[in-house]
Amino acid sequence: MATKVTGFLDERTGLSGLLASFLNRKVPANLNYLYTFGSATLMLFTVQAITGIFLSMYYSPSPDHAYDSIKYIMNDVAFGSLIRGIHHWAASGMVVMVALHALRTFVMGSYKYPRELTWVIGVLLFLVVLGFGFTGYLLPWDEKAYWATVVGTNMAKTVPFVGDFVFKVMRGGEDLGAVTLARFFTAHVLILPVIISALIGIHLFLVVKLSISEPPERAKRVR
Amino acid sequence: MNKAESSRPDLTHISSPPQKGLSRRRFLERIIFGVVGVVSAVLAIPIVGYTISPALKGASAQKTDLGPLDSFPVMQPTRVDFSVVRQDGWIRQETSSSAWVVRQADGSAVIFNPHCTHLGCAYNWYAADKLFRCPCHGGVFDIQGNVVSGPPPRPLDRLAYTIEGGRLIVTE
Repeated sequence: MATKVTGFLDERTGLSGLLASFLNRKVPANLNYLYTFGSATLMLFTVQAITGIFLSMYYSPSPDHAYDSIKYIMNDVAFGSLIRGIHHWAASGMVVMVALHALRTFVMGSYKYPRELTWVIGVLLFLVVLGFGFTGYLLPWDEKAYWATVVGTNMAKTVPFVGDFVFKVMRGGEDLGAVTLARFFTAHVLILPVIISALIGIHLFLVVKLSISEPPERAKRVR
Repeated sequence: MNKAESSRPDLTHISSPPQKGLSRRRFLERIIFGVVGVVSAVLAIPIVGYTISPALKGASAQKTDLGPLDSFPVMQPTRVDFSVVRQDGWIRQETSSSAWVVRQADGSAVIFNPHCTHLGCAYNWYAADKLFRCPCHGGVFDIQGNVVSGPPPRPLDRLAYTIEGGRLIVTE
């Protein structure tokens, strides 16, 4: 029965070929666990997407209600503190994993020809992940979130020439308030997810197309 | 061709010849999909609980003190206005509400929801003919809340109450 259904679908979509080219691709035989950080990051991204979608169900991005809505998630919704806890810790974990992944790519020289573009996309992904962290940090609207964002947006001000403009765009004006919270929310749940999805798509396509780089070996001296 | 060149990792392991029974590859595949399946199922439970939990909560009982029972005239409907603190998710709202209290001769009371059972208009007590009349569509109720005439489909709704230390407390 199951094979009948999958056979029906596969005959019309050819999905199994696509899946096979993704899962059954050739990789160097001497890879090690250092080469799993990218997959770990992807896994954490999936966790963040799922938990984030469900957190938005009870969250209200307005200064009057943001803090209370999070208190509601933590105290009144079944498994609310679990879902938010996962989102909180996986957020930190994702930054750590992205950093380790970039470090391994750099140290192993995997960014070199023909994978330069994969590296550049990866750098953009790193920035987007930091953007997620920065915008998500404000959403609980507690003292820590508020003052961290005051400081964070003030930093933008120190950039020569454009700093003041960037600062105002970030806050949606001079003050950190309702407009800031709403635009941080929009960035966190709508704009950045679209950007990161597109970048992950390109990144993965390149990884599959170019295959994983061979780890450098002691015996293979560069002349 | 030096030695290092020939020790390149072997990339041909994927197309290994078919084996009898469960191949190593098939075995690992099953382990991975099995673990992923179990983890997904375990995570799905909290997410489903999280989503449906507000629907499973009963309406929270509110206690509203309407004052001493003795302050209400016997068998003479009295409209009482009071404020109710309503918890709407994470929003606490104080809304004004009202009720019609009819103190009974036996020391109990009847408290009517102030909305007509037809379409929810506020009705009024007409002492002259001893009837509740709704101005919207002509619903008429007697002092027991029974429909006398007009379109209301059922008698007036009653609110639950208790009497604590002689004070009338609405419990819903």
